[in-house]
Amino acid sequence: MSLLSIRDLSLSFRGIHGVTEVLHGIALDIAPGEKVALVGESGSGKSVTARIVLGLLQELAAARIDGEVRFGGEDMRGFSRQQFAANRGTEISMIFQDPTSSLNPTFIIERQFAEVIRRRNPGASREDCLRIAGEALAETAIPDVERVLASYPFQLSGGMNQRVMIAMALVNKPKLLIADEPGTALDVTVQAQTLQLMRQLTDEHQAAVFFISHNLGVVREFADRVYVIYRGRIVEDGPTEAIFADPRHAYTRALMAAVPRITGMGLPDIPERSDSFDAPQISHEGGS
Amino acid sequence: MTLLALKNVTKTFRVNQREVHAVRDVSFDVREGECLAIVGESGSGKTTLANMILGLFGATSGEIHFRDSALPARRPTELRRQIQFVQQNPLSALNAKRSVGASVRLGLETYRIGERAARKAAVEAALEAVGLEPELARRPPGALSGGQRQRVGIARALAVEPSLVVLDEPTSALDVLVQARVLRLLNELRAAKKLTYVFITHDLAVVRNIADRCVVLKEGQIVEMGETTAIFDDPQHDYTRNLIRAVPVVDQTEVQLRDKLGRAND
Repeated sequence: MSLLSIRDLSLSFRGIHGVTEVLHGIALDIAPGEKVALVGESGSGKSVTARIVLGLLQELAAARIDGEVRFGGEDMRGFSRQQFAANRGTEISMIFQDPTSSLNPTFIIERQFAEVIRRRNPGASREDCLRIAGEALAETAIPDVERVLASYPFQLSGGMNQRVMIAMALVNKPKLLIADEPGTALDVTVQAQTLQLMRQLTDEHQAAVFFISHNLGVVREFADRVYVIYRGRIVEDGPTEAIFADPRHAYTRALMAAVPRITGMGLPDIPERSDSFDAPQISHEGGS
Repeated sequence: MTLLALKNVTKTFRVNQREVHAVRDVSFDVREGECLAIVGESGSGKTTLANMILGLFGATSGEIHFRDSALPARRPTELRRQIQFVQQNPLSALNAKRSVGASVRLGLETYRIGERAARKAAVEAALEAVGLEPELARRPPGALSGGQRQRVGIARALAVEPSLVVLDEPTSALDVLVQARVLRLLNELRAAKKLTYVFITHDLAVVRNIADRCVVLKEGQIVEMGETTAIFDDPQHDYTRNLIRAVPVVDQTEVQLRDKLGRAND
């Protein structure tokens, strides 16, 4: 059974210039413990999909959302604002692109950790929180846990903040972790370490991952299954290996060609738009 | 011919009574018309080097030569015009309150290039050269996409007809498709306008496809330097090997290259 199941999800925004259609009926499944990537360029609808799962867009008066989102078998359409809020940070947690700016600069790490831990466990004492946070940080192979807990985010490096974010996101044992371009704000070596750490820890915690990225290279390192999204429509999906061995949709091929190669294949000429990008969805065998 | 030469450049900052050696005894030449990449992790001194080349601050010791003469601490206007800058994040680099046309025009006004009427045409030409519609000149940067904004950043730098352009991570804030287009544009402009680039990045895959030569920096020191193809074929330093291996890859041939480097490392 799917942990997350999205059916015929559409989204539009009402603005002063009329209605903007953002998602045109997408379908997507994530099984428990599975790592699934949603790949596409800026503006393709990746991040809004994640925000709908978190219940953040539902609060926006200008957003019109249709279609079904089920989490753990429950239909989220009936969720109140409080139910969504109770889910965030406990059942579903999220890691953002830039760890340093997504942590609060005015509080030390210990206090931010306590806030997260108390979402699941409101009665946790300071000692409990310190112990739980220490254990979570130790899992990320941070050498000096006490110093990190007593630091402000700006006193730590980007890579260290990324580890803190990962530890915080997993501390309440969520069933689903949403990772929106994790580590792209960091340099390649730290990004590679981040992906490795995320893979290892989500395996240990048996958490499913909904991984959002524009870079197929990063996705290849991380995901079990891939959905490619273009202008609010899924154009291709399947197991990661199948998609990389045989990308069939013109848009997937363009995305793949755009990744610069360390073997030096030159800089490809990729069109902004092409009718072939709007071709119907292609699904590879072996998906869920 | 050598356009820019760094000779034993060192930069030391004082932070909380402590000395931080951001750049240590760095020497290299940039040849006219080439694209030289400076690569390294965060904190390796890449941006400090860029800032010294641009004259935003001076070196603690050592000299930077441009066209055979040492760059003075206070640079005359003409020298500042010759060396231009493209930043990583175009949204924070462009003034949100100015139209993009006004931002591009500012350079022309600062360096007193052309008359008022000629400047308007020059701004349009600069935007056109980077593939933007002249109508966009009236818009604020916030109304543009990430790729369009970075094109404005490039147009602004090139409008004043520099000979050297320092590009500090010009594509790392862009998604891969936009990055591919901007890199192609940069390559075409370099050939068309006979420009020289100093290209700063941590992404070795980008370097492989755009730079003629590269300088690998670690903790403020050069660990390796040479032709890009030679460095990728046979990296001499573990640090370089690890930088290459950290790049996410999509092709089987890339996996093979990475495995080869991995074995050499073990």
